Amino acid sequence: MQSIPDNLKPPFTDLLLAIADDKLMLGHRNSDWTGLGPILEEDIAFSSLAQDEIAHASAFYELAGELLGTSSDELAFGRTPEEYRCAAIVEVPDDFDWASAICRQFFCDEYDMLRLKRMTISNYTPLANLAGRILAEEQVHIEHSEEWVVRLGRGTHEARQRMQKAIDRLAPIALWLFEPFDGLKSLIDAGLYPGSDFDMYDTWTTRIQDILEKAELTMHVEIGEPDDKGGRRGVHTEHFEPLLNDMCEVYRIEPGVAW
Amino acid sequence: MDVLLTIPDPEMPISIVDLGLIEDVQIQSGCVSIDVLPTFVGCPALPMIADDITRKVGQLEDVENVEVRFIYDPPWTVDRISETGRLSLKTHGVTVPEPGSGATKLDVPGHQHPGGGGEGSVELRTSALPCPFCDSRDTKLESQFGPTRCRMMYYCNACKNTFEHMKKV
Repeated sequence: MQSIPDNLKPPFTDLLLAIADDKLMLGHRNSDWTGLGPILEEDIAFSSLAQDEIAHASAFYELAGELLGTSSDELAFGRTPEEYRCAAIVEVPDDFDWASAICRQFFCDEYDMLRLKRMTISNYTPLANLAGRILAEEQVHIEHSEEWVVRLGRGTHEARQRMQKAIDRLAPIALWLFEPFDGLKSLIDAGLYPGSDFDMYDTWTTRIQDILEKAELTMHVEIGEPDDKGGRRGVHTEHFEPLLNDMCEVYRIEPGVAW
Repeated sequence: MDVLLTIPDPEMPISIVDLGLIEDVQIQSGCVSIDVLPTFVGCPALPMIADDITRKVGQLEDVENVEVRFIYDPPWTVDRISETGRLSLKTHGVTVPEPGSGATKLDVPGHQHPGGGGEGSVELRTSALPCPFCDSRDTKLESQFGPTRCRMMYYCNACKNTFEHMKKV
């Protein structure tokens, strides 16, 4: 498919904005660690992760912008909070707790790999091409976060305790990554986003449990039908607006500014 | 093409031709159109590359207009780096994954085992990677991330040098 029918444009742009918004916010959270990483290598790692995520977000905003007739900057910085589609896990602060930062990265990287894989078989060629490319670039992300989960889990008593605490706190929040949004089924049926969210959730939990077993850590979550709306449908956590205000400060003072 | 060979990549010590960035050059009565493949999506060096190409090609006789387009299809992979480029990178302490190992659209990388516990991908990668300075294979991965988005850091236990390895994309 080389063009998107009008009736599928709203859910399809929601899908593109969901991945772009997740990456922009996660990249911003990653960049908090620039200059503050626990060791130099991780300072560089989180700065690189931030660069990757924000560059990838920008590419998805461009795809969405072509369909919405707007620019990637306008999409990144010029929307109202309820127009963003990111999930709660990228909104919550890590309070500069290294275990929380690693845990968030781990949940998000595992999810992102599966989402990108589904996108590589989209029948919308521009999306399939971009997703394939980004998947290759993100391979090291997942190796990095999985290695750290195992390292902390098998580390000192304190490292292990803090990692388990981060998992217990963040796992329920991470499930909001899987929140369905309006029109998702129509995208699956049209071949724009093939696969099933249930299968994706199964693969995600299985993979996470495998790594946690190696790390001698545990996760107990059960996914259900969400009672309320979450980030995928524009309802965000209390942490989102301060984060957005921080990110958009310069853009709002002078829209269109280049730096 | 000769003038493109004189343009170094802003972040790599080789020309943009040897790095495999140039996909196509079309010349039509004074108008030159060049298709360039970015190494990484949204690489921050792209505006500099476009400026360098426009300026240098624009100085050539009979060239009236230069257009640089960044395209992602086909994707750039490490396989596009020329033999000259590989040798030159090696002397600068940067190794490149073996030819044929780059990611392609059909060969999407899957999950690998974590290496943190002392077994798995890190060790596998390590044993296969010779040091660019002393050729020892007694090297280890220091970090999956390095000075630019496309490079990782390794350390050679034999000659005690750090070196860089291009990510396998």
